[in-house]
Amino acid sequence: MSEIPTRAVRELTIRVLRCNPAEPEQTPEWQDFRLEEAEAMTLFVALSLLREEQDASLSFDFVCRAGICGSCGMLINGRPGLACRTLTRDLPDTITLAPLPGFELIADLSVNTGKWMRGMSERLETWVHDAGLADHNLAQVEAPMDPALAREIYELERCIECGCCIAACGTAQMRENFVGAVGLNQVARFRLDPRDTREDADYYELVGDEDGVFGCMTLLGCEDLCPKDLPLAAQIAFLRRKMARA
Amino acid sequence: MRILHTDVLVIGGGLAGQRAAIGARRRGLEVTIISLVPAKRSHSAAAQGGMQASLGNCRGAQGDNEDLHFADTVRGSDWGADQQVVRMFAHTAPKAIRELAAWGVPWSRVERGEHSITVNGQKQTVSEADAAHGLITSRNFGGTAKWRACYVSDGTGHAMLYTMSNQAIAAGIPVHERMEAVALIHDGERCCGAIVRNLMSGELVAYLARATCIATGGFGRIYRVSTNAIINEGMGAAIALETGRAALGNMEAVQFHPTGIFPAGILVTEGCRGDGGLLLDGAGERFMPGYEPEKAELASRDVVSRRMEEHIAAGHAASSRFGEHLWLDIRLLGEAHINTQLREVQEICQYFLGIDPARELIPVRPAQHYSMGGVRTDPHCHSPTLRGLFAVGEAACWDMHGFNRLGGNSVAETVVAGMIAGEAIADFCASPEGALTVSTTLAEEFHRREANKLAAIAGNSGGESAVELTRLMQETMTANVGIFRHGDKLQQAVNTLRDLLQRSANVGLRSQARGPNPELVAAYRLPRMLKLALCVASGALAREESRGAHYRDDFPRRDDQKWLCRTLARWPGDDAETPQLDYEALDVMGMELPPGWRGYGARDFIEHPDTATRQAQLEQALAAAGELDRHARQQLLMPFLHLLPAGLQARNQRLGDAP
Amino acid sequence: MRPSVNRWPARVDVLQSASGLLLVLFIWGHMFFESSILLGHDAMYLVAKAFEGQPLLSEPHPELVSIAGGTVLMLIALHALLALRKFPATWRQYRELHGHLGRMRHWDSTLWYVQVITGFFLFFLAAAHLSQMMLQPEDIGPYASADRIWSDHYWLLYAPLLLTVHLHAAIGVYRLAMKWGPFSAATTDRWRGRARLLMVSALAFFLCLGTASLVTYMRLGAEHAPYKGERYTPSWERE
Ligand SMILES: Cc1cc2nc3c(=O)[nH]c(=O)nc-3n(C[C@H](O)[C@H](O)[C@H](O)COP(=O)(O)OP(=O)(O)OC[C@H]3O[C@@H](n4cnc5c(N)ncnc54)[C@H](O)[C@@H]3O)c2cc1C
Ligand code: HEM
Ligand code: HEM
Ligand code: SF4
Ligand code: F3S
Ligand code: FES
Repeated sequence: MSEIPTRAVRELTIRVLRCNPAEPEQTPEWQDFRLEEAEAMTLFVALSLLREEQDASLSFDFVCRAGICGSCGMLINGRPGLACRTLTRDLPDTITLAPLPGFELIADLSVNTGKWMRGMSERLETWVHDAGLADHNLAQVEAPMDPALAREIYELERCIECGCCIAACGTAQMRENFVGAVGLNQVARFRLDPRDTREDADYYELVGDEDGVFGCMTLLGCEDLCPKDLPLAAQIAFLRRKMARA
Repeated sequence: MRILHTDVLVIGGGLAGQRAAIGARRRGLEVTIISLVPAKRSHSAAAQGGMQASLGNCRGAQGDNEDLHFADTVRGSDWGADQQVVRMFAHTAPKAIRELAAWGVPWSRVERGEHSITVNGQKQTVSEADAAHGLITSRNFGGTAKWRACYVSDGTGHAMLYTMSNQAIAAGIPVHERMEAVALIHDGERCCGAIVRNLMSGELVAYLARATCIATGGFGRIYRVSTNAIINEGMGAAIALETGRAALGNMEAVQFHPTGIFPAGILVTEGCRGDGGLLLDGAGERFMPGYEPEKAELASRDVVSRRMEEHIAAGHAASSRFGEHLWLDIRLLGEAHINTQLREVQEICQYFLGIDPARELIPVRPAQHYSMGGVRTDPHCHSPTLRGLFAVGEAACWDMHGFNRLGGNSVAETVVAGMIAGEAIADFCASPEGALTVSTTLAEEFHRREANKLAAIAGNSGGESAVELTRLMQETMTANVGIFRHGDKLQQAVNTLRDLLQRSANVGLRSQARGPNPELVAAYRLPRMLKLALCVASGALAREESRGAHYRDDFPRRDDQKWLCRTLARWPGDDAETPQLDYEALDVMGMELPPGWRGYGARDFIEHPDTATRQAQLEQALAAAGELDRHARQQLLMPFLHLLPAGLQARNQRLGDAP
Repeated sequence: MRPSVNRWPARVDVLQSASGLLLVLFIWGHMFFESSILLGHDAMYLVAKAFEGQPLLSEPHPELVSIAGGTVLMLIALHALLALRKFPATWRQYRELHGHLGRMRHWDSTLWYVQVITGFFLFFLAAAHLSQMMLQPEDIGPYASADRIWSDHYWLLYAPLLLTVHLHAAIGVYRLAMKWGPFSAATTDRWRGRARLLMVSALAFFLCLGTASLVTYMRLGAEHAPYKGERYTPSWERE
């Protein structure tokens, strides 16, 4: 009988774009780390090991390490993705990691997506607008909602604000004020929600310009690289049709 | 030194912190939230399965009400909970759900007509009423009499947190992100803010506030295998402990979730079992009914986790190169159900295990999941020993979970406690006590102290490594303070942790980089985590009984006679090596539901001498009062409404009730 | 409708797409007419005369062709002007975009870049072709065209024009479909697959058709070179 070949353990080269703006004399540069691959190793595991064993100053962001909080977006071999749920076995021997472009750099792989997203939320007013909210009677049976509609809203609500769609969008890379797929998707989400009393004319004021839906050039990087597989192309096309008529 | 003034400082941007902040803001106070991470990335987002509230809309929930929710929660807690608080909670939970529904959470809804469900491995058909169509639906969860866990597919926490955050943004509440509270400013009586470190620049800032609210979540990361986020290091509880005034309650009550995926520990929701998934052993056999005939897979978490470990120890595990585990089988739920109601589970299996749960088994093993313990508060979420300090959410020991919390009760607690705390904070600020009297010298003193501490850590050239010590702590906790506990092992754990705490003073840093210095962060958090670990281990060692999630091989029975009490841990001083433990008795004579059997798990326990008396008293009172509706009955047994803010006292309407 | 709202961004976006769509329809139609040479000299002759209005006005009026050319030119100018807003405007933008496309290796983003580049070239090539057509509208016909293409070396203009305009048009149609298409989340993939198929087939078809007729013109031109300047007489007018 033939033997099952034991797979040789790979040695990975992890090439990280290092930069610490707090140390202005340092210029951004690539640094190579070597690391033995382990079974079921994710980039979260790999980077944690690098920090523990090789370079304690390496900066990156992980929170949930389960692909649900959106903290760990980075460029993995040039394309944005969630590092915590990327298995090294799906990558070549050399893995390049760089911070998500389009966001303020904190250090190394850590970028300030939170600040960007808060700005986007404030600008697009991504909350249910309803004048009666403050004196809502909480004891009363809730207003019914069509189950299918609730599912549809949740479909759009699944965005984790990871910023991958911004890093994957040529328009957003060129134009800082573009709200990106993440913003347009959220507007589509609230537009769908009957609890939000805003009308198309209100939404037009938010996204009816070159920084909004008309700025999107249909590059579809967002659609293809959103780690949550949100239906971004459909939402943007939908919003574009509505806003063109608003 | 930079000083920021605000009326209310909320430390933590999870569900609990943001809801408290919104409440206080609505009452006209200036509120500032600080958070380690952007608010929407808080670990509340990870809650998948559901939020408990007795709406009673769907078929499986029919007949549900506050009374049943109360009883389930108290039983779940193994009678360790504060029953008045549980009442406040059960009464407010439906309001919390309805508020969130109005704010935009897309709760899954009841769909009229026939549906196929999976119960006990069998397909059944249920029919939903026309009248309930479109109302908020719920699913079955462990330890509950009714289907009570309201959910949004399996992204419940995510949807709740986003809605909450968006409302906080709408209310104009600033969230200072990537900020870490490293010390509470206090004069021994009154808390008046915190020293906060900017994690991007390293700057230390003093935040002075009339009320300070800790909402920093759990501390799962003191364990090696945990479902918690890696930021769940318990720093909020730790800085409260370090005041020496505030106490941490029931720290030994740590929950282990039955279904962490193996070996990563990432959680797959209890909803998997609630919806009909089964646990299988190495031979592919179902084993839970053998241990728990009545509830099987849906006994409360402490029981299921323990049974699983027992089954593994008995040699029935499946094994992989990482070690032994069991299987979760959700194949029988069908692909359509998995792809709509259990999407996150599907994704987690796909990305972290490389399997399709509609076709393959999921390897699982219990993992640390939830900390029932935390900053001890009164029913108004206020620390009884350090005025001006409030605590909510997982970081608090408000004490509605006792020694085991039920699935879905935690996110419900965050919102409910947030609603109550928001009002309580506003009331406190409006009272004479709430005026900020502290001079800035105190702030300066604390600022100097923390700056010196950090400088000492940064300049330390000692030979210890924070990474190594953290690993040792985590391994000690998982090995010795886990699901099965024993006096010897606990003693060993306390010794090891004490030793580690000493060694942590000699942690040397390799990098002196300015800005976000992750090595420095790990070094200064380590001793705080060790202090929490010591509270857990010492509390567990001292508690010579088994209650809820705290299970001692050497004392397998619940002992109401000696241990119907809450552990309070204080840190006596900077150079103390172990916490000082005190106990606060639970008053059986005030209980609406005197201690008894939980309905699952072990049947034998040592009864409290007052139990029989109280039972008789209750029966007598009821008999004397004659015919009563359930509200009046409840009011007679244990009044609690007066503890709630006026706006939350109204009776909850349900389908079929007159408006 | 609120008075304060600026409707122009919406209009401009629609206008850009509509002008693009009209141009595509025009060029696709144009290809069929212009390829009538494949059906023979008479066919091409008839088409040319038809556009000069002969069937209706009984006399050929080449000015009509000039007018049509002018209209198309204006449409192109409008379209190009609107599209110009999308070009990287600064060196920084150009650098970001270039780096981005290089890293991403993403098909649709790259297609857009192809559109920008082909658009840029079209600006010159189309202008050259159109001014020729507008200034000498009477020089359209089996011999006149063939002579121009071969003896006057116009194939050097048409070959790149053919390639660029069809790349630009086919990609443009695909992107129009994705930009406005009434597809839903569930149908995106199907819709996109079909739009891609349309793009590729249209590109292949029109390049083949165009190449075939261009080669035909060149062959005719080579044969007719000794008689350059002579105009074609349809078969039914010959005795
Ligand atoms: C995987 C998983 C699944 C779960 N599923 C469910 C479920 O289905 N149902 C249920 O009821 N419960 C569930 N739970 C439990 C529940 O999610 C948590 O208990 C609850 O969300 C905690 O909320 P919180 O607001 O108290 O804290 P968190 O949401 O954890 O927020 C803590 C906040 O504090 C901040 N913070 C921490 N320390 C500091 C500091 N020193 N300075 C400044 N800020 C700080 C953090 O940045 C964060 O913003 C689950 C838990 C886990 C781990
Ligand atoms: C002078 C010549 C031209 C230039 C400079 C030009 C440039 C461009 C550019 C840059 C775009 C991309 C715009 C965007 O992404 O929003 C574009 C789109 C398009 N072009 Fe052109 N173009 C020219 C001529 C033409 C011609 C002759 C046609 C028809 C064959 C055409 C058809 C289209 C179409 C259909 C689109 C897609 C429209 C859209 O995205 O809204 N263009 N053009
Ligand atoms: C009203 C305007 C137009 C007229 C009357 C016209 C007419 C013609 C004619 C008669 C030919 C045959 C060759 C010749 O006689 O030189 C030709 C070829 C061609 N034209 Fe046009 N044209 C017009 C506009 C355009 C435009 C706007 C484009 C694209 C931007 C275009 C692209 C081409 C190409 C690519 C060929 C070569 C076709 C081949 O390879 O077979 N034309 N055109
Ligand atoms: S839309 Fe997708 S890629 Fe963009 S932020 Fe949301 S989850 Fe991330
Ligand atoms: S990648 Fe960008 S241009 Fe539009 S389709 Fe997506 S937002
Ligand atoms: S760490 Fe949360 S998504 Fe990766």
